[in-house]
Formats: sequence, structure tokens, C-alpha cells
Amino acid sequence: MNNLTRTSLVKRLVRTQAFSLLILLVAMILIFTALAALKGARFFTAKTFIGILQDIAVPGFLAIGAGCLIVSGNIDLSQATVGALSGIVIAIGISWWGLPWYVAVLIAMLFAAAIGLINAILINEIGMAPFIATMAMAAVIRALMQLLATDSGGALQSTVTFTDPALTTIGGYNIIGDIPMTIVIVVVAFIIYGIILKKTELGRSIYMIGGNRRAARLSGINSKGIIYFLYINCSVLGGISGLAYTARAKQGSLQALSGDQFTGLTAAILGGISFAGGSGGMGGAFLGLVVLKTFYKGMLIVGSSTYLTLVLSGTLLILALSLDVWSQRRQRKRLGI
Amino acid sequence: MELEQKAAQTVEKKVRTLEFKNISKAFPGVQALDDVSFTAVGGKVLALLGENGAGKSTLLKILSGDIPCDEGQILLDGEPLALTSPNKAINLGISVIYQERQLIPSMSVMENIFLGALPVRSGFVSYKELKAQTQAIIDEFGLPIDPTVPVAALSIAHQQMVEIMKAYRRNSPVIAFDEPTAPLTDKEIDILFGLIKRLKEEGKIIIYVSHRMKEIFQITDEIVVLKDGKFVTKLNTSETNEQELIKAMVGRDIGDTYANLSRNDKYGDVVLEVNNLTTYAVHDVSFKLRKGEVIGLAGLVGAGRTEVVRAIFGADPIISGEIKLEGKPVKFKTPRDAINAGIALCPEDRKEQGLILWAPITHNVSLPVLKKLKKFLFLDAKAEDDLTLGAIQQYSIKTPTLDKKVLELSGGNQQKVILGRWTSKLVTTKVLILDEPTKGIDVGTKAEIYQMVCDFAKQGIGVIFISSELTEVINVADTIYVMHNGRITGSVKREEATEENVLALAMLE
Ligand SMILES: Nc1ncnc2c1ncn2[C@@H]1O[C@H](COP(=O)(O)OP(=O)(O)OP(=O)(O)O)[C@@H](O)[C@H]1O
Ligand SMILES: [Mg+2]
Repeated sequence: MNNLTRTSLVKRLVRTQAFSLLILLVAMILIFTALAALKGARFFTAKTFIGILQDIAVPGFLAIGAGCLIVSGNIDLSQATVGALSGIVIAIGISWWGLPWYVAVLIAMLFAAAIGLINAILINEIGMAPFIATMAMAAVIRALMQLLATDSGGALQSTVTFTDPALTTIGGYNIIGDIPMTIVIVVVAFIIYGIILKKTELGRSIYMIGGNRRAARLSGINSKGIIYFLYINCSVLGGISGLAYTARAKQGSLQALSGDQFTGLTAAILGGISFAGGSGGMGGAFLGLVVLKTFYKGMLIVGSSTYLTLVLSGTLLILALSLDVWSQRRQRKRLGI
Repeated sequence: MELEQKAAQTVEKKVRTLEFKNISKAFPGVQALDDVSFTAVGGKVLALLGENGAGKSTLLKILSGDIPCDEGQILLDGEPLALTSPNKAINLGISVIYQERQLIPSMSVMENIFLGALPVRSGFVSYKELKAQTQAIIDEFGLPIDPTVPVAALSIAHQQMVEIMKAYRRNSPVIAFDEPTAPLTDKEIDILFGLIKRLKEEGKIIIYVSHRMKEIFQITDEIVVLKDGKFVTKLNTSETNEQELIKAMVGRDIGDTYANLSRNDKYGDVVLEVNNLTTYAVHDVSFKLRKGEVIGLAGLVGAGRTEVVRAIFGADPIISGEIKLEGKPVKFKTPRDAINAGIALCPEDRKEQGLILWAPITHNVSLPVLKKLKKFLFLDAKAEDDLTLGAIQQYSIKTPTLDKKVLELSGGNQQKVILGRWTSKLVTTKVLILDEPTKGIDVGTKAEIYQMVCDFAKQGIGVIFISSELTEVINVADTIYVMHNGRITGSVKREEATEENVLALAMLE
């Protein structure tokens, strides 16, 4: 009895879904390399991997926010739209309102935080189902963007360009070759959030709320407060991804991040953060994102059309969701509950 | 001529048998069942006895086709059964009432009872018929349950009775009950026992799992004892006694549980005072708890005992009344406030309100004391392990690792995890509230829990002890408050308490 221990780290790692993802990733790279070779193209090049890293940078923030929320058993479907809005606000703030870039960024982040706050109020206080509340919120944000992007002449600008040397320099800053600086920030953010989730009181509380909210409350966890935090956090991270996009693209766009509507979610679920709440982690979410973007890149290189890729990525989301439900069911069955 | 035929038929109608033959089953890190063999016969109730984690539920899950066994066979009347799924088992005539409820909360009582066999008229479910058939069963049981309400709206006791009706409806030759009385009180238990007697007379094979010795002697005919997954012995109930059984289960004598308790006899000041407390479910409840005192709350299911303590704990809103902690009026908006003020509540429904089933034991034990496990910004894993190890040792929780998921533990061991959470060395309590703490706990550990309650009292903690097992409340508590319909109908000191006078107060009209 005295020498009871935890399950060994190796065993725990091997059991995670992230581990299976790693295998999937390796398999995917091999398959794409072979397919590309057949088509006379090349997959296994530095350019490909740099491209994948570039693709990860912006939606990385989305995956972090979405992941934390799903761990707690919640969901935010408005997150990517918040990103687009924040880009628009920054671009308009600089070029139409003549604000210094940091003031524009600050306003955009305040917008994002306010949206997260409203989401949390709808869910916590009014008692709406998270996916309904946030889907409605996404519709409102889209309309709000159009309202903002209507210029003084009454014409809707679907993109608003701006020139601000400071912001675009930061946004376009590369380390070694074409690797954007942003990717480093994203990876660091993943690590910090990973540590928060696994090693701090806040993180533990998030898992416990996701596992059984009533029991967590009866054990003194401030579940309401934490859910406020998570929605605001998710929304602000959405805003930051919009900032990253806008700073690099030198424009705000109504269509920004529209391809990444469900990226954060898919990455998190792929990475083993279950919809049932209370499981998974940041490592998995990051790997999920890498797998997702490697898949897109690979499809592009082997010459599939954009639309086919979109269809396939939708299919991937459905697949990830089924896998989530299926593995839950299988575990329940094994346990006889 | 006709008579002769009938006589011949009754002779031919053989006693049915259910034989477990060399059953083994392993889970990662534990041999849950190890070569278990015995036979149950029709017309007799067979008790399955053993400590928490002995393998009782596992055996029943194998019988119900829920999980496969690694080795062995189950034979009904000599024929091996192919128990490949729960559905198959039901069709083969086996009904198992699980330790954990299996109902669908949002569906109505009638739909739950007839799930898988809904009466159909020209392609549609006939709700009229469904309702009539369900009502007939409910009347047979004599319970005040509306067949059309969702199961979630029923009390836990009534939910359990619905579970039993669901099995009864199938009219199977084999019926197994896994701790059916844990959520019930005397009234429903009487109904259940009446039912079991009837089923027995009909020649059915009945298997009964319980940790309550009284029940074992009341309704069973034979007893099989398991220990650590192994068959220990099979006895006739009429030829054995409690001491012998406990010795077979635990492997040692434990003596008279209650007489051996070392109690606290020094009370301090009043620590908790409740004046005219009224909520949606309780009315005008008042009592005083002193430091070092153990108060028992007795009553039937639905009497409002749980609701009283939930209100004190800040889990339910208070309509009127006053609560004083150490003489100062307090108003807890959430359980968090109550915990910070020094109140601990170990809740009655471990699955819904207690445990994070998918999380490891460590996380479940440390939940209310995360703040105290901080080292700089981070949680101290070493301290968390120590805390968990403490709980595991205190309650002898059966587990191969510290971080096993709680849902992989046996029912009784799950209950021990919640107790471990609320009585760990880091929880600083002035008032400890235990709501049905011994639910599903084996006899050996029960005795340890009673002693632990007394030890807390000796440390000057005020304890509120709720239990539906009358013997337990009147022997452990110093003062017993009896509730009925949300009101306190009277109080009795332990020296004067008898099952009769407490029950009389509990059923007061
Ligand atoms: N799904 C599972 N995964 C891993 N171990 C399990 C699983 N189910 C049961 N066990 C283990 O098997 C052993 C037997 O458990 P079982 O539930 O049969 O005990 P029990 O006799 O019913 O106990 P109790 O009186 O506490 O209900 C226990 O050690 C338990 O931890
Ligand atoms: Mg059991």
C-alpha cells in the first residue's frame, strides 16, 4: 500500500490521443510524399514545412482558446468571427479614424473582450445553450462588421487597407528565412496555456468543471467565475488571431479567417479534447492543428482543388467528432457504465 | 385423470439452476474475479457478500452480458449461456438491477420501464396502453408515482423503484439485485422485500448483493462470500451468524461495532445554530450543534434531510431563517463561501454531486483544497500524492495506482474517495456534514467510519450525520433529530433512542 504511485509518465503519454496523432502525422507525411512523387511534385521540402508553420500561426490562437473552453465542457462558435471583426476595427481605426496603431489594437481587443463577456452572460446568467448563444453572436458580429466597414459614401468595403509601418513591420517580421515571428509567439502561448491547464489551480478547476460541474461547485470551485474567464479568454484570443492576420496582410477583411471558422474546434477535438469535457490538453490541440494544416498543404501539393479540399476538411471535422463520440462510447462500454 | 396429469407436471417442473463455472476476469492491475464457481437455485434467494472491490458487481456485469469474462461459463439449467450483450442476456431471461442507476433521466417513467418493449399499435407507440400497463405495475408495487413524469423529477428512492419495476416487467427467471436498497428507506424496502418473496415463491432464481447484514438475514436463503475476487465459502443463511460472515468476508473478527466505539463526551460551545430555516423543501427547521457533538438526522426519503444541509452549505437558496456559525450570523451564497468558513458537506449522490468520474483519484481527493496545494504558482504534485495516499490508507481504498480513474473503482471504493476528499488532513472543518456516508460501504470499513466520526467529535468538530439506516443513526449520533415532510418532528438522545420511537416520529401524520 505504501508504495502506491502514479501511472508512469511513459504509459500516460502513450495512452493519450496526442500520441496516436503523432503516428497519424508521420503516416500522413509519408503518404503525401509518395503521392506527390507520383504526380511529379515534391512534398517533403523545407518550403512545405515553412508553409505549414505559416498556416498555423494565425489559427493557433483560435485552437488555444477553443481548447480551453471545450475542456470545461463549453464551446464558442463566434471566435473566428471575432478575429475578422478585430482585423476590421484595427484597419479602420488606423486608416479611417486616424488612430495610432496601438490605440486601434486596444480598441479591437476591448471589442473582443466585450463579446466574450456577453457570451458568458448569455450562458451563465440567462442559461442559453453555449452553441446557440455563440452562433447567434457570430451572426450579430458579421452584421456589425458590415456596419463598421461601410464608408462615409455609404459603400461597403469588403477589405480595408492601411499603412502603418510599425504594425506591419511587427506583423511581417520573420525569423530565419520565411518563418514568421508569430509562430514563435503561438508556440510559446501553447506552452504557457498547457502549463496553466495541467499545473495550476485554475487549470485543474477547468478540468473539474468539465468533468462534473455540479460536483465541482459543491467542492467550492468558482465555476461561474471561471466560465466568464474562459469565454473572455477565448474571444480575446480570437481577437489576437485577427490582429496577427491583419498585421501580416496589411488589411482588414470581412472574409478574414473565414476558412478557419472551425479550425480551432477541429484541432482541439482531433487532439483529444473531448466534447464531453474534462479531458485532453494543449499538446494535443497543437498536434491537431499541425495535422489539419499538413493535410491542407498536402492536398494542395498533390493538386486537389480548393473546393475538394474544403469538402475534405469538413469531412475531417465530422470524422474527428465521430472519433470523439466513438472512443467515448467504447470506453464506457469497456467500463460497463 | 386430469388431476394425475397435473401432479405429473408439477413433478416434472424441475427446480431451475444457474451455475457459475470457473469465472475469471482481470482489469488492468487487478484480478477482479479469480476462478469463481457456485450454483444458485430457483425458489431461493442467494446473497453475494464481500468487501468493497471483492468482485460482486463484476460478476453481475458478466451475468448481464455487459462485460465479457476472460474465462469460465454461466449455465442456466445446464445449458451454457452466450452472454454477448445486455440485450442477449435479457432475451435469455436474465435481469440485472445495477448498483448505478441506468435510467434515462429525461424520459418518462413509463418509457423507461418499457424501454425496448414499447406497446405498438399499427406502427405507432400506443401511449394509452403504455400508461395503463405502467400504472398496473405501479399499483402492484403500491407507490405514488405518476407514469408520465420524467424520471429526473422523481426522488432517488423512487428512481430506484422504477429501475426495479423495469426488471420486474420482463418477468425473467433470473433476477439479480446489486445493492438495491442503498438509496431506499424502510417503506420502499418493505415493498421490495415483499416482491422478492413473491418472486421466490414463483421459483425464480434471485441473487442479492448488499452490505447490510440485517437484510441478508431477513430475506436470503443462501450466502456466497467472495474475497479479493476469490470464492471463499457458501453457507445456508439459517445456519450462520453475523460474526461468522464478517470473518469470512474480512478475514478477521471485528467485534461489536457500536459497543466498541470510543466516543467523545466533552462538548464545547455551540458551533452551528439554525433558526427557523425555510427553503423550498424545508419548513421552520431549528437546531443547535455544539463542538464535539454528533447530531443525527433521521427520516424517510423525501423528509428533507438533504435539503436542510444543502441550505446550510449554501447550495440551495434560503427563503427565511437564520444560520449562525460560532455565534455570528452567516449568509452563504455558494458552497464556496461555506467551505471557506469551515463547513464541509460530503454529498449523498456520489455520481451526480460528488465525483468527477473520469478524473483520477488524486484530482478527486484534492478538489476542495487546491489552494492549499499550491507551491508558488503551481500545484504541488508530491503534496497531492501524499494527500491521496492518506485517503487511500485511511479508508483502505482498493486501487492499483494513485491516479486510477474513479469510475474504474468499485461502488464502495468510489464512496470512500468522497469521504477521503472531505476528511483529508488539509480540510479544516468546524462543521462536518456527512450525507449517507456509508452507502455501499462494507461492514469492516463502516465500523472504521463510525470511529472516525467519533474521532472528529473528539477534536471539537461538530458533526451532522445523515443516514437512512436507522440502527446506524441511533447508535452513532449523540442526539437524533427526526424529520418528516420538511419539518423536524422531534429529537431523541441516543440513550433513549429506539428504532420504534424514532420511526414513530418519522411517520408522524
Ligand atoms: N472497469 C474497470 N476497470 C478497471 N478496474 C475495475 C473496473 N471495474 C471494476 N474494477 C476493479 O475490479 C474490482 C472488483 O470490482 P467490483 O465492482 O466487482 O467490486 P464489488 O464487489 O462490487 O464492490 P462494492 O461493494 O464496492 O460495490 C475492484 O478492485 C475494481 O477496482
Ligand atoms: Mg459493487
